[in-house]
Amino acid sequence: MSGWIYWGIVALVIVGVVVGINIWLPKGSKGRRRLKWSLWALAILIVGGFLHYTLPRHDIVRVVNTYQERQDLHDWTRIFWSSPDDQAGTLANRDVQFIQTVLANGDPMVYRNEDTGWSWPPYFKFDTANLQTEAEDLKSTAANPQWVAVTRYGWRIVYLSTFPNAVGIRPVAGPDATIIPWVNIVLLIAFVILVLLFRRMWLQFRERSIDPLLENVEEAWESVDERADLAAGRARGVWGRFTGWLRTWKGTPRK
Amino acid sequence: MIALIRLALFGFIGLSVIYFLVSVYSRSVRREKLERRWDEYPPEGQGNAERSAYIEAGMRDYEKGLRKKLIWLVYVIPMIVVAVTVYLVNYQ
Repeated sequence: MSGWIYWGIVALVIVGVVVGINIWLPKGSKGRRRLKWSLWALAILIVGGFLHYTLPRHDIVRVVNTYQERQDLHDWTRIFWSSPDDQAGTLANRDVQFIQTVLANGDPMVYRNEDTGWSWPPYFKFDTANLQTEAEDLKSTAANPQWVAVTRYGWRIVYLSTFPNAVGIRPVAGPDATIIPWVNIVLLIAFVILVLLFRRMWLQFRERSIDPLLENVEEAWESVDERADLAAGRARGVWGRFTGWLRTWKGTPRK
Repeated sequence: MIALIRLALFGFIGLSVIYFLVSVYSRSVRREKLERRWDEYPPEGQGNAERSAYIEAGMRDYEKGLRKKLIWLVYVIPMIVVAVTVYLVNYQ
């Protein structure tokens, strides 16, 4: 019963918002335009944030240490940790490996080192233990630094204790080595091509399937109109005036 | 192992949806092209029956052609990408 009430309230709110938008922000008004742009900005923000989190990025760092720490995985920040294949779904905590590093500008940076397995994001990483060994092998001191490029995805959010996941590590010449993000270039181009393809597909579908349908409906409407006019011409009594008045409620035909 | 099966299953479903949409789109584009080709230079003294016969013949050629077979790349390319990613991430 409470489920019905809940969904009823949700439906009422949606209907209310739609009706409210149409009353207070009519088509073509300034507020409507602002709302439209806000929604677009929100969509771009969400898609951009998603890509920024998921796509691989490179840091040039000096590995300082590696460690392993038990992590609680029971609250909503669970989404910032991986779900390795061999882990039970109900597991409340487990050990996670970390790589402590220092960026070229001296700021600290800590990565988690976890398998992604076959789940999201699709890095198909299974070599966590090997990566930890490589990182251990590349440790160096500030006096005699060995700079490495770490490929990683994710965000370091200090307040939520989230860490980017290291995916690869390799030595580079110095702290200002340039790395061309080939993977991102290819993936973003593919993404744009896919978006354009789906847009093209939708337009083709509309042109070939929806527009002819709408034209049929429009023709049907026009024939109804003609018949109504004929009838009005015949009757011209109270009924004729009534239908004439009804027709004043019909807006201009929409294309 | 469960995760691999899940990926294979949902990947197959997702790619099948894309395969279906792309093949509908490709067929629609081909039909439109055939219509245009006929309408631009309609042969003398031929009517709607010949026009639809021409289009149906063109569509039969399309069903047998290379272009339709290329849509299988919808399945092939993601599988190659996954295999290459597994190799690059884990064996380098």
